[in-house]
Amino acid sequence: MTTDQSIAAAILGALGGVGNVDQIDPCTTRLRSVVKDPSRVDAAALRAVGAYGVMISGHVVQVVVGPHADNVASDLADLM
Amino acid sequence: MSVPHAAPAPQRRRAGAHKYQAVRAYLVELIENELREGDAIPSERTLTERFGVSRMTVRQALDSLVTDGVLQREQGRGTFVAPSRVDFEMRLTTFAEDARRLGLVPGTRVLAAETLPATPRIAEVLSVAEGAPVHRVQRLRTANGDPFSVETGWIPAALLPDMLADGVPESIYGALRAGGHAPTWGEDTFLAADATDVEAELLGLTGSRAVLRTRRRTFAASGACMYSQACYRGDRYSVVVPLREARPTIVPRSREGAGPETRNQP
Repeated sequence: MTTDQSIAAAILGALGGVGNVDQIDPCTTRLRSVVKDPSRVDAAALRAVGAYGVMISGHVVQVVVGPHADNVASDLADLM
Repeated sequence: MSVPHAAPAPQRRRAGAHKYQAVRAYLVELIENELREGDAIPSERTLTERFGVSRMTVRQALDSLVTDGVLQREQGRGTFVAPSRVDFEMRLTTFAEDARRLGLVPGTRVLAAETLPATPRIAEVLSVAEGAPVHRVQRLRTANGDPFSVETGWIPAALLPDMLADGVPESIYGALRAGGHAPTWGEDTFLAADATDVEAELLGLTGSRAVLRTRRRTFAASGACMYSQACYRGDRYSVVVPLREARPTIVPRSREGAGPETRNQP
């Protein structure tokens, strides 16, 4: 696995797994996701895999991952 | 440029502008549809002949595309399609660099410079422990001598312990680069606001108090290296944000093609 692939897998797990994710929008430096159950999101785990910020607002979870967000998003698409 | 003194002059100017626009439009089309990043564009001579215009007109079109960042010149090699605008979007420039690019002379007045313990908010945005030492620098920026913005920046002291030893460095990004913490990316947040009384006085606002506030987190390879807040005069500052098509939304595969919730539908 590349670093981005393992980061993608860890991010998906911290968002509560595929089953908890409605959609993920890749932005330039962030992943904006909509989750079913925000209480299953582990913000500390997201930070532990290198997220520079985690913003949770209702069902929307934004994870600041930096300029390699594009690569992480491609790997997330493969995992979902 | 001469001042038009005879009746036909304005018309000639319009015709010139029209030809320059035609060359520019042709190049924009070519760059968008046929060329890729790094490709050479047709030579000045080819363009001169194709459009039946002077070399000066061709250069004017090229210059405008270089200024817009669509093309880049390489000394002795030619003119090429510039890297995509995503780079622009993530370009981290300092006030001095921005000002110089706009043809203005940048100036700075240091209002405050100190090293103090990180407040909870600053600790969070810089990913340092609460109470860890951070440098705080507040500067008034001027352009051609006129007040332009008030900026406050926080830098983890652990990155550059001696940053303020000889006063405030002329460029904090420069100091970070020299210290092995080169800024590589960041995020800006923009807010519209009215200036506070202090800001209005520093910026010399007499009429409108409209300002643009920015919040920036700057990152080096090792993590957050600076947090800054700036307050720009609303009448002197505008921001260009390059946009690109959004990447497709990712949805779980199990739901792909399952009725209305497919990948490319809202």
